[in-house]
Amino acid sequence: MHTCPPPIEELSKWLREYPSTKGNYGHLLLEQRCDCKQELLDELRQYFESAHLDAREYFHAVIGIDLHPDVDDDANHALYPKCLPESARRGLFGEVMAGLITESYTFVGQHKWLVPVFLFRYHADAEKYLFDLARNEKRTRAVFGRLGSDFIGISLGRDGSVVRFIAGEAKWRSNLKDSVIEELLLGKWTTKGEKRVRLGGIWHNLNTDTQIPHGVRQLQRLLQECDPNGYSAAILSMDKALLLRDPVPIPRTDLVLIVGNVDSKREKGLPFITWENAPNEYVAGNDLQVVEVFLSEGERLIDSIYDNLWTEGDNNASA
Amino acid sequence: MLPHDDERLEVANTIRQLIASEENLTPVQARSFVRCLQNSWNVPMIKWGEDESFGQLNDARRLIHAAEIYRQLEGYSSPNALLCYRRAGELLEWLMRAKDQISTIAPIALFAAGAYQLGGLPAMASSLLVQAEVRESGAQLYSSFLKADFDGVIKNVAMFWSENQELTNYSQGKRLLDNENDDNISWYFTVELVRSLGLIADSLRHGDDQRLEKALDKLYALDKLAVRVFSDDVSLLITLLCNVAIEYNESSIYKPIKQITQSSERHQKRLFTFARRQFKRRRGILWSSQRQGLNRLLNSSSFALCTPTGSGKTLVATFAIIKELLLKDEVVPAPLGLYLVPSRALATEVEDKLTNEFGKDLVITGLYGGTDWGITDYWLAADQPTVLIATVEKADALMRFLCPFLVARLRLLILDEAHLVVPEDNENSRRSFADHTNRSIKLEAFVSRLLMLSPSISRIALTAVAGGASLPVAKWTEGRQDAEAIGTNYRSTRQLVGKLEVSTDSSGRMLLELMNGQPLYVRGRNEPVYIPLRLPRMPNLPATMRNSIYRFTELSVLWTALHLVGEKRRILISIAQEPEQTMGWYKDAFELNGWENINFKPPKDEVLLAKYIETLEACKDYCGINSYEYFLLKRGIASNHGQMPQRLRRLMINLIDLRICPITVATATLTEGVNLPFDIIFLTSLTRRSYDFSINKQIITPLSVSEFNNLAGRAGRPGTTNGMEGMTLIAVPQKPSTTAPAQIPNQVKQIVNLNRVYDTLINNLQNPKMVREETNSPLALLLDTIAKLVEKLYGKTSGEFLEWLDTIAPDEISQEAGTGMSSPEARLADCIDELDGILISALEEIRQVESRDLRGSEIEAFLAKLWKKTFSSVASIQEIWLEKAFIRRGRAAIEVVYPDADERRRLYQYGFPPYLGRRFEQVVPRIRKVIENASNYGTMSENERIVVFDSLGDIISNDRGFGFRAPRTVTDQILLKNWKNVLSWWMNVENVKGPEPQELRAWQRFVVDNFEFRLGITIGAVVAYSWSSGSSAPLQIPSLNLWREITGLPWFGFWVRELLRWGTLEPFVAFALSQGLSHTRSEALELRSEYETWLKNLYGGLDAESFINPQLFLEWRRSRPKRDSSRVDNISVKAKLTGTNGRRVRYNVIPIEVENTIQWIDASGYELARSQAQIDMMGTSDVPSDYVLQVKNGKATVRKYIVY
Repeated sequence: MHTCPPPIEELSKWLREYPSTKGNYGHLLLEQRCDCKQELLDELRQYFESAHLDAREYFHAVIGIDLHPDVDDDANHALYPKCLPESARRGLFGEVMAGLITESYTFVGQHKWLVPVFLFRYHADAEKYLFDLARNEKRTRAVFGRLGSDFIGISLGRDGSVVRFIAGEAKWRSNLKDSVIEELLLGKWTTKGEKRVRLGGIWHNLNTDTQIPHGVRQLQRLLQECDPNGYSAAILSMDKALLLRDPVPIPRTDLVLIVGNVDSKREKGLPFITWENAPNEYVAGNDLQVVEVFLSEGERLIDSIYDNLWTEGDNNASA
Repeated sequence: MLPHDDERLEVANTIRQLIASEENLTPVQARSFVRCLQNSWNVPMIKWGEDESFGQLNDARRLIHAAEIYRQLEGYSSPNALLCYRRAGELLEWLMRAKDQISTIAPIALFAAGAYQLGGLPAMASSLLVQAEVRESGAQLYSSFLKADFDGVIKNVAMFWSENQELTNYSQGKRLLDNENDDNISWYFTVELVRSLGLIADSLRHGDDQRLEKALDKLYALDKLAVRVFSDDVSLLITLLCNVAIEYNESSIYKPIKQITQSSERHQKRLFTFARRQFKRRRGILWSSQRQGLNRLLNSSSFALCTPTGSGKTLVATFAIIKELLLKDEVVPAPLGLYLVPSRALATEVEDKLTNEFGKDLVITGLYGGTDWGITDYWLAADQPTVLIATVEKADALMRFLCPFLVARLRLLILDEAHLVVPEDNENSRRSFADHTNRSIKLEAFVSRLLMLSPSISRIALTAVAGGASLPVAKWTEGRQDAEAIGTNYRSTRQLVGKLEVSTDSSGRMLLELMNGQPLYVRGRNEPVYIPLRLPRMPNLPATMRNSIYRFTELSVLWTALHLVGEKRRILISIAQEPEQTMGWYKDAFELNGWENINFKPPKDEVLLAKYIETLEACKDYCGINSYEYFLLKRGIASNHGQMPQRLRRLMINLIDLRICPITVATATLTEGVNLPFDIIFLTSLTRRSYDFSINKQIITPLSVSEFNNLAGRAGRPGTTNGMEGMTLIAVPQKPSTTAPAQIPNQVKQIVNLNRVYDTLINNLQNPKMVREETNSPLALLLDTIAKLVEKLYGKTSGEFLEWLDTIAPDEISQEAGTGMSSPEARLADCIDELDGILISALEEIRQVESRDLRGSEIEAFLAKLWKKTFSSVASIQEIWLEKAFIRRGRAAIEVVYPDADERRRLYQYGFPPYLGRRFEQVVPRIRKVIENASNYGTMSENERIVVFDSLGDIISNDRGFGFRAPRTVTDQILLKNWKNVLSWWMNVENVKGPEPQELRAWQRFVVDNFEFRLGITIGAVVAYSWSSGSSAPLQIPSLNLWREITGLPWFGFWVRELLRWGTLEPFVAFALSQGLSHTRSEALELRSEYETWLKNLYGGLDAESFINPQLFLEWRRSRPKRDSSRVDNISVKAKLTGTNGRRVRYNVIPIEVENTIQWIDASGYELARSQAQIDMMGTSDVPSDYVLQVKNGKATVRKYIVY
């Protein structure tokens, strides 16, 4: 389970906040105001270890089982998440940041959000490999269904049942600028017949997503594995949401988090996404929370976090 | 129990009740099913929207989720979970088969197969994936895995490793995650998944628990990882694979094998080979019904297994044979198992199956010979465990011949289709007692007698019919009042029952009414499910044909079948009676305009073509070139009925089994317990007509529910058909076919009647009370028949009746006793004789086994015990008078009616009921004389030979008791009068005119009833008696060496029943046909010259007896050059270890060709060794091989084992 509280105090020292809420639209701009201090890095490392702990444990379980016929005792190689290539680390960083910010700041609707376990579903190629059994980059196959939201969190009622989901997209980009943001939000250009059209994009994904976010089944399974007793009411409410034809609706907050470096000359407090009103492209009708996080040397931050995960042994995260 | 568990169950229950009800489908589900059927049948589909597809997919996901809740909270084998998985499987299957676009959204075929596997419907999973178009390598791998095709899995993974050589290197494989490529985790995961599935498949097929456990751990870990890092669909697929793998482990055939061979390494090794072969045939994963049966078998020695047709009961019987015979192969005398089957066709099937598996370990014989033991019956003297597969009649004859011998060796009794012990309570059954033709009572009497003699043998009863019969069958089998049948409702395929509506103005449509016995009911609507057939319309029939509504219906069915078969479908047209009439109608139709373009193309495959031609030749030989059978076979239509000569029947069944003939027209005898691959069964009638001459009235008997179920159970057998469902459709006309105004009202009446009969059947099939037919029992019914007749004729009841039984002899009741007459008195006398036969047989057998006569109260005690062993004693409501009557009549039979012990012994040996036997005894010397006089039969001319047969026939032809009989129809009575002509035709005498095509079946019936059966029985009785009276020791083992000496008969006596059976006057022909040396009688006759040349060269001038001496036949056969049957097996090659230190000594490996070397890899994908390429080392796809790397004294070799 992810149990480490967010380092709210250190975050506020590090990031300047520009929050706004209008109706069911919330916007939060977070701007880096100073260099990362060691205290912050230490706390972030702990938070990231906690976020990765569950996946790491199960990843190691897989690696630990050696099927070679001569191997009896399974060796445990501590690799995850260090073994991940750079691009994957960046992806993970975005997802953990989504959790961190969600747990640390007040969003539209003022709900208390909880990320009991992090799902890291950034492996877009998985289906291609699994169905083709080949690492052939040229071959493309239709990905079955949707990969699901990058991030998912819950809000619990007094009885422990889930009263609201928060789910959405968390993206890291090294260089945030209008064109990059536009592509993220509206999708990449592609040609369809003779026309140039946009494909996908955050708004499209959110607009077409289901009321119960993809990934709830997985989150529920993890809760059952990790703390079935503590989350029994949440588990039940998820059963209802997933199984019943006409369940009592569990409302959803959509989250868009974009994190990356911005030009140092960029005017302070100026977000890429409109903050006064919800963007016109967003038509899903849920509460929408947009978060923009502007960093100065994001890559260095990411590397210094990931290079130092579990350098002090396996118990860090629970400390 | 966690907080909220109850509420979670409630949620799961809500959705299960809503969309997974066992009894009915929701409207949208029914529409989805219809849509899938329509697509399968290439007819236009109903309107359907994308949102409905999504709805169904979501429902399937809901149900899989609900199933998981049930498994968590109610346990692994929760019945509710099974229901949810099954319906999820169905919803996904229907989408898949409708070629729904949604298959691009989710891998629905794989989801469906996984759900079916977890729902305990492995055959459905497998059939579904056979149909799914799976192209991608990964999907193919998962598909093989979900089909439990582990050889296929290995083939898939071998291909993967061949394409990814670098990963077979242990250290390189380990460095996969060091690779900086994007998303190396997904690739690593994929590789590890392939490793796990490969190793699981290989460990399963070899029974390697240790490595299996590790591979399962790995897959389990991958599942836990997938749920964290992959999309919902990928994670769901991995979860399904993981759960299915766990299920496979639980259901592996190695589990029971390990349990029963714990103490014998030798047997374990042998049975591992058996298990490996089962895996090759994709039967290594046991079905739930089999697991239940085997669990019981491992814990007890006797039980009844009651599961639907096609649920794999034969495997349970096979394990019983392993347990009781194979594992006791060192016991002296070698143990014997008796496998009782209802038909000779089933005997053949069982024999083939068992010989295939255990032909080298056990003697397996189907006792086909006309004699009660034949030239191939080496089992008699064998010191190997033996399985005898026989019908009850054959087993009974054998018992009379070899009782003490059998009893000394018998350890196991398997009773297949045991419910046949239950007679139908109707006039026909009651009459059949007097005719001595009731099979139920034969079965009851034989088994009860056997249980008296060998009370401690293991008994396994197999039955398909649930309900009424299963409980008494279980009690009877176990010999305990509190016994219960092991039963499951497992069905391997979906069964649909409905109507084929035929009409002159359309190409007909199918109305589907029942699915798996439940109404295909659409909740909230009453719309029936129709599938219109868009076939070309049948050309208008000429008036002679359309004026009979029955003829029109039968031809419509043929027309429909001919246009539905396509490339793949196999259709059975099942007819209630008079197949010759139907076949004749078919022939006439084929000669009409519009039918001429319907062609059948014989198979291209050489082996199949040879089978087809062989059958054609045999058909020409036994039926004639002008016969309907030959005509239809030329057009790809196989035929089969009970009167068809055995050899031709076997060949026809073989053609059907090999799917050579797309259409089969047959009576119900074809399908009695035999597994044949039909997709659709059309029934053309649900009633049988007969004529009762005693009351001059036509009797119409409807098909019983159990008979219908048995027939319907043959449609859509798993692995043998192409569809997911077997359909049984009853053809019912909708409008008059005639255009003649005078005929129309009559046809309208007939149509109303046919619809009424159909509706009644459908109602009865749905009504559980009717399915649970009343449990009658044969002995009780016989005693009741006797009591009723006594009351009717003499007014005697209760005490008076019993007193009457104490003294009465059949000839005191009627002078017509034992003459086959039908007056009430004659029938009563014959019923008493039937009862006496059972009683005397039992008492005679105990005398033989104990070598002394029982006296006075001993008899009563014995009979009381015998009564307790009868089916009647457990099935009937215990009426005390039944038992009393049984015992008192037994004592009377011994002490009053047949007091002479010597006579009883003789009567017992003749095999007839005693009074009939007494009458028969009068002709015994005459029969013996004719046989004795035929000492020069070997050199007789054809005319002289047929005269011998005529003289044998003359002795019995006029006796209606033990002699020839025929139905009282004009045609049959003419045959009876001209029996010599029929005999000459049957015995293949030259230039004898045979029957016209329409008469053929009547002639064949006459042959079967009178020559094969009645004449054969009388001769068999004389020969058996000659052996027994000539033999000094009761345990004397019959042998060809002693045969002539002991019987005092010439070889003709040995051959006569074989000759009658094969329809030849020449013993060599019978020999050659029985040994499979020739296909036809004329071919066998040609072969005779080879034998004669051999004989003359070897022995010079010989007497007549030598020409037909079976010992010489066998010697000649042994002297013939054998076909080279050497198999490329057990080849080995040296290897160099490249990826192992060899410490495990023995490794199962898979070959991968790399340039000029063979790379030997472990199933987990790691290279272990290499060797030089060698052509014969590689397996072929149709003959999979196993390879074992062995490391001994530092040297490594790989040995190849072909899995046959």
